[in-house]
Formats: sequence, C-alpha cells, structure tokens
Amino acid sequence: MAPETSRSIATFLIIGIVIGAVIGVAAGYFMPRPGMVPLSKLEELRSQVDALRSELEAKGQEIAQLQAKIQQLEEGRKIKAAFIYVGPILDYGWTHAHDVARRIVDAEFDWLETAYAERVSEADVARYIDRFVQEGYDVIFTTSFGFMDPTLEAAKKYPNVIFFHCSGYKRWKNMGTYFAEFYQLYYLNGLMAGALTKTNKIGYVAAYPIPEVIRHINAFALGIKEVNPDAKVYVKWIYAWYDPVKAREAAEALINEGCDVLAFTEDSPTVVEVGEQYTKEGKQIYTFSHYSPMLKYGPDTVVSGQLVHWEVIYRDILVKIYTGVYNTTNLENVDYWWMLREGAVELGCDFGVPINPKFVDELKAKVIDHPEFGRISVYDLVFKRLKQMSEPTVVFDPFTGPIRDQEGNIRIPAGMRADHDTLWTMDWFVDNVATPLPTGGG
Amino acid sequence: MELWLAVGRSVIKASTPLLLGTLGGIYIERSGVLNLGAEGLMIVGAVTGFVVAVNTGNPALGVLAAALASMMLALVYGVFVVTLRANQVVSGLALTMFGLGISSLMGKEYVGIPAPHLPPVPIPILSRAPIVGRLLFSHDPLVYTSLILTILLWFILYKTRVGMAVRAVGEAPAAADAMGVNVYRVRYACLALGGALIGVAGAYLSLSYIPAWTEGLTAGRGWVVVALTVFSMWDPLRALLGAYLYGGVEVLQYHLQPYGVPPALLSTLPYLATIAVLCVISREAVRKRIGAPAALGKPYTREV
Repeated sequence: MAPETSRSIATFLIIGIVIGAVIGVAAGYFMPRPGMVPLSKLEELRSQVDALRSELEAKGQEIAQLQAKIQQLEEGRKIKAAFIYVGPILDYGWTHAHDVARRIVDAEFDWLETAYAERVSEADVARYIDRFVQEGYDVIFTTSFGFMDPTLEAAKKYPNVIFFHCSGYKRWKNMGTYFAEFYQLYYLNGLMAGALTKTNKIGYVAAYPIPEVIRHINAFALGIKEVNPDAKVYVKWIYAWYDPVKAREAAEALINEGCDVLAFTEDSPTVVEVGEQYTKEGKQIYTFSHYSPMLKYGPDTVVSGQLVHWEVIYRDILVKIYTGVYNTTNLENVDYWWMLREGAVELGCDFGVPINPKFVDELKAKVIDHPEFGRISVYDLVFKRLKQMSEPTVVFDPFTGPIRDQEGNIRIPAGMRADHDTLWTMDWFVDNVATPLPTGGG
Repeated sequence: MELWLAVGRSVIKASTPLLLGTLGGIYIERSGVLNLGAEGLMIVGAVTGFVVAVNTGNPALGVLAAALASMMLALVYGVFVVTLRANQVVSGLALTMFGLGISSLMGKEYVGIPAPHLPPVPIPILSRAPIVGRLLFSHDPLVYTSLILTILLWFILYKTRVGMAVRAVGEAPAAADAMGVNVYRVRYACLALGGALIGVAGAYLSLSYIPAWTEGLTAGRGWVVVALTVFSMWDPLRALLGAYLYGGVEVLQYHLQPYGVPPALLSTLPYLATIAVLCVISREAVRKRIGAPAALGKPYTREV
C-alpha cells in the first residue's frame, strides 16, 4: 500500500472523529432533557407573563369602572317609603311625632324618598295602600292599631311590597311590626310624682281603658309606690284620643278632688296647660308631659315626661331594607319593641331636659330609704334607674314581682319580670290605683 | 264644700263657650236662617283668635279678631242663603267643612306654641264675698260678658222693637216685609251678630279654656251649640239653662266616673234632651206658644 493512501485515511479518520465529537457534544448540549426549560421557551414565558400582567391591569381598571358604576347605581337607586297616619300631622301628639321622625330620616338618606297621607280612617286605609303601591312605593308604614287588618290584607295582596305596621301584633312574610314603648318612662315619672305630691293624691287623665294605657298607668303607679307607699292614683277616662275640652274637664275634676300631680295618656297638651294655669293662680300643680316636648306650655308645672324617637326605629328599618337585610320574605318575626336601651324613647319634658330645672332641688331634697340603694335622694334614684334600664343588659324592670292587683291578688310573683304577653294584654290595675277599672267598656 | 265650689267654678268655665255660641245661634235662627255652620264658625273664631293673640301678644285683640273673622264668614254664608236663596242645610254643612279646612290651613304654623292667655279678672269687692265671690266673680272677662249678654239679648229680643222685627222676620217674613221691615237686612244683621258670638265662643276655647291651638280644637262643640239652640227653644234665658246643664253634665261625668256612671251615656243626654224638645215642639199648638221661628230654613223671596 502506498504511504500517501494510508496518511489520507488517517486524516479522514481524525477529521471524522473531530466532526463526530463536535456534533455529539453539540447534540448532547442541545438535546432536551427532562426538568429543564430551553432558553428559547424562557423568553416566550416572559412575554406571556407580561401579557397576562397587562391583561390583569386592564381587567383591574374594568373592575374599578364596574364598581364605580355599581356605586352610582346604588346612589341613584331610591327607596320610596309611604307613611299612612290616622290623625292630622299637627295634633301635637301621636301623628305629629311620627311625622317629625319621617322628616328626619327623609333628610338623612339621599336614597330615601317619602310621602304621607294624614287623617286616614280605618275604612279608607286599603285604598291609600293601593294608591301608594300603584305609585311605586317599596315600603309602606301604617301607624294606627286599627290599620292592622287592612295592612295584613294588603301584604298578602302585594307580596313584592314591604309593610310595617305600628302597635299591632299580626305579621306576614312581608309585614313586620314596631312600637316605641313608654312604660319605663312612666315608671320614672312615677318616682318623681310620688316624691312631689303633698296631698298623696295623684291624678291621671286617660284616653281609653285598653292594655297600653293600663300598662302606662300601672308603671306610673309602681314608680309612685317605690318612693311613697301612701300615695294613691286617681284615673279619669275621657274616652277619646283627642278632645282638648274633655281633657281639660277631666284634669279640673282631678284637681277639684284634691290631686296635685297630673299625668296623662291622650293626644293634646291640655293637661299641662291646666296645670300651668292653676300654678300661676297660686296652686302648685305638678304635671308630666306626654309624647311631644311640652315644657314651653308649662314652665312652672311640667316636671318631666315621655318623649319618643320614632326616627331611631324608622332609620333601623329603612337601612336594613336598603342593605337587603329585610326583604319581602323574612319579616314574619320582625317585631320592634324598643325602649330606653335602644334609644327609641327619652325621659323628659323637652329633648335634652330630663327634669325641669325648676324642680331639681325639690327632688334632691327628698331623701328616702331604698331597699336597693339605701339612703338616696329621689333625684339620684331616677337617674340610677334610668341608667339601669338604658344599659345593653337591662338590669331593672318596673314590672318585677311581687306585684298585686287592686283585689290584693298576686299578679306577678316575687322575683319574676312580666313578659311581653302579660304587658301586652294587661287588664288589671296595681294596688295603689284607687279608681276601679270601668266594667263592660264605656 | 270646697269640692263643690271647685266643681261649680269648672261648670261655669265649661258652659261659657256653649252659652256664647248658643246665644249667637238663637239670633241667627230667630231671623229664620238655619245655623248648621256653627262648628265651622266656631273653629274659625278659635284659630283666628289664637293667631292674632300670638302675633300681637294681646288676647283681647285675639277675641276681637275672632269675632270679626266669624262675622265675615257668617255674612258670606248669608250671601248664599239670604240673597242667592241656596239650600240652607247644604250651605250650612258646607260652611262647617270649609271652616274646619281653612282653620287647619291657618293654624299650620301655630301648633305647639303657647299663646298669651285671657287672664282672670276678679271683680273688686264682689270677688271677696264668701262662696259666690270665688264661684262667680273671679273669672275671665268672657264669662261675665256671656252672662250680661244673656240678659241683654233676652231683653232686646222680647222687649224692644228691634227684637220684635227679628222675631217677625223669622216667623212670617212676608208679613214683616209688608209692615216695612227689611227682611234681608234683619237676616244679615242677625248673621253678623250670631257669627261674631260663635267666633268669640271659639276664641274662648283657644285663648282661655284649653288654651292652645291644635287641629280640630272645637271637637264638635259647634254641634252642641246647634242642639242647644233647639233645646233652649230659641230663648236666651233658656239658653243659659241649657248651656249650664250641658256644661254641668260634662264636668260632673268625671266626678261620677268612679261610681260606675257610664260617661258615654251622660254625653248623650243633651242630644236626647234635644230630640225630646223636637218631639214636643213638632205639635203645632206648642210650637205657636213657645214661638219657634216658623220660617226657619225657608229662603225669603219678595213678592212683587
């Protein structure tokens, strides 16, 4: 074999080996292995992340826009609430107080629109409800006990409208009930009345002998008894919610019979006016105002009284309707029975005036031996009891046994508190009420 | 004793607006015009008196304004029933409804504010007399006015030519006209006087008796006046009796309540008495004797 031939074979071999090695290494380097990402893919992923990120940003903007839109819609969405009253809004009593509250919540919420109908009789209430429903009202408040059945009928007839009835006990899936109760205040008034009376005769001008009024008279009498067991309560019925002339005659009759303190449950400031007149003529009469602030009617006679804040209840109901807590299916057990703790009622003869300054010294000077607080002035006692009944856990209730009726029968056993039903159906007087309950109505 | 004295005082106060109103009603009806608008006239008087007393601070001006306002309203009623000869029942009821509505409108800003009261004015010397002094002579001026007016209006109606003319117009307007009495003028004059008196009765309620303004303040006292006008058989002295009887029942019912006397029954007494009177005077003979105005409710048309 020639030497040139073998050399060229060797050269070929070397070149082949070198090329093979280069290819092999390169192939090995570039062959995809499990768990490893090729460099080219990295870039691709990076660009994908970037794309997603910008997409997210765009979506975020979209969400913000939608949220703003929702908010706008919410702000634009109104609740239309209608109020149906039994009396004139200027009675300076029951209906007046409801209408004051309506105006407060109406001014408070942009999303609330209200309307009212006054002097609606029981026979007419269904027609007024029909009208308000046709006009697109979402919520209808009916504010008289006598409106209960027509409201229930309407709740069944209009399942998409929310109804709230004041002072009744019938409810439906779209009809709740509410009431601001005064008996705690009457009890506190009673403490003061018992301390102030000189004749131990305390008068009460009352509208009708119904459980609500009887409960108030009893609470008042229980307060009197706590500070002055010798004083008795005398009651005159006028058989009208609103008749100033009758209220005047009943108040004068009580004064004529020797009463020097007067409280009342009816819808006019007449009793306070009578007290002021007698006081100005030289015969001090102490009075307690009812429902509306009446200090200005009798600066020399009004000691304290009961004030209502219906707006506290209306606010709670309307906000819960607006936020969807209440709807047309879940009102069957919604019953507001709000008192001092919830702030629905206030002690006083004017807002912010729990006791007329004129009588503060007289009440501070009257010191009694109290089974719970020891020696204490009636003034301090009033505020101690007020605090006890205003706390989140009400630690005191005026209707705590033993409580006896006029015949001496135990009605509420010792240590027991009267429950809602007992209070709601009360048809007996406590033992320091001197006047018997009328039998067989008027 | 003390109790009965106090009750007596209450009776006098309760009866005064009824007496004033009934005296007005008697003069209107004596001239032959039916007075079913009393409730409207009374409440307009009540609200006007209150508004004026609050704005001027003078309750006496309030009483005066009340008299004028109700007088104007009664004259408007007169235009319809005397001049235009409209049905007096319908017009009277319309007057009542109008009065209730306009009073609510006028009083809108005045609910819940106190007004200057009409103060009691004890009559010197007399008010210091035992018993009677406190019972009769220490009231506000309207109480005395009502008593003086009772006698005065009785005297005018029965003892003077003016009273004769009024009675003649209510009894036989055509005959009175023939005698030269101007029927229309007498009727307008009686409406003006009667309207003013009923207006003062309203002012007594809002400025002395209650005293405050709230809607529907009179609460039907105008209708009591309508009933008492008939009950008194259109005689001012019997109006005194009727008004004090009714006021007495109103006051006494609260003193009798503890003894189980149903107040609803007592409240119906004046109306039952009125129906009894209506039954009695429906007999022509009785009617003639007590002098019920024969032309009551009949518009007068002058025959040419």
